[in-house]
Amino acid sequence: MCDSCGCPSPSDNHDHSHDHDGHSHSHAHNHEHGHDHNHSHDTATKTVDVRTSLFAANNAMAQANRDHFDQIGAVALNLISSPGSGKTTLLEHTIMALKDEMKIGVIEGDPETDRDAQRIRAKGVPVVQLTTGGACHLDAAMTHKGFHLLEKEPGYAGVDLLFIENVGNLVCPATFALGEHERIVLVSVPEGPDKPAKYPKTFGTAQTFLITKTDLLPYFDFPLEEARSEALKANPSLKIMELSATTGAGFDAWLDYLRDLVRTKKGEKAA
Amino acid sequence: MHEMSLVQGLFEQLKSLAAENNATRIVKVTMEIGPLCGVVVDSFQFGFEILSAQEPMFKETELVIEVPEVTYTCTSCSQEQVTAGERPDQCGNCGEFLLTTRGGDDLLLKQVEME
Repeated sequence: MCDSCGCPSPSDNHDHSHDHDGHSHSHAHNHEHGHDHNHSHDTATKTVDVRTSLFAANNAMAQANRDHFDQIGAVALNLISSPGSGKTTLLEHTIMALKDEMKIGVIEGDPETDRDAQRIRAKGVPVVQLTTGGACHLDAAMTHKGFHLLEKEPGYAGVDLLFIENVGNLVCPATFALGEHERIVLVSVPEGPDKPAKYPKTFGTAQTFLITKTDLLPYFDFPLEEARSEALKANPSLKIMELSATTGAGFDAWLDYLRDLVRTKKGEKAA
Repeated sequence: MHEMSLVQGLFEQLKSLAAENNATRIVKVTMEIGPLCGVVVDSFQFGFEILSAQEPMFKETELVIEVPEVTYTCTSCSQEQVTAGERPDQCGNCGEFLLTTRGGDDLLLKQVEME
């Protein structure tokens, strides 16, 4: 059981580090005194079959996060893209459009600075900045810590829709579940339509693909059809949307998609 | 370089295993790295070398990496193709472009030899 919040922990029989500094690894509590027994061991080798996934600890923590979000009736979205594809701008516009209809919270992940959090805070919703200290991705333990910090933010009064803006990186975040209900991958028009073919893992694990900055289509070689078909090859069940935060084109479909997610989650909780 | 943090997690697990088994040195570690798990084998090896050099328990530890195959299934005719990881351009039977994958997406610690 998580000491700070009472939410379910993935395991009760080993030590977690989520209360401390946001690192994903757990510390084995029993290795530091190993030198006490140095005199007694022999040199016989022993082979142990393990077959455990290195993702298991993160996945268990992610599931605990997801259970907690379900319990409070919140939809959690993990936004993944390259740096500069427009994640924060998308959030700014989305918050302005939806903040009167639902309670929104944001967890921002960046290697350094709280600039993104300042931009979100200026829009009037609770936000927490996680700085990874150079690390290339968020993980489930950081997300857990981030959510508890969010609950302590001024103005926090529950959350219907939680955005987790991952570190700008189209590779590493794909490997780490955070406890999100949907993973959204963004590609902006200037980046080119070949991203789904180049980053199949990221697109393969996402539920939604968002093509941003479509107001720039006249100036870049970005065949939408090619981007869509490449994305579907990486993931046949991917939902695909296009929008421009500058012109507002495609924004209604994006907002309806978010409203649907929130409505469905509230329905699940009521049922 | 998320491989480095995965290797750190692996080392914590290996230390626990060693303590449970009263071992003081890890002789050999066998990993299974799926071609679709988002981990670059070379980066994982590099991270392993860098971090293992820092602790006596991992001195001269041998790292064995196995890479499992991936099965691609056609969404139209269900024909299966097994590859070393690379995605076939299309279904060899009906030409469909949309294929689903099975396997090759995990990173497993399979076996540990210690003394």
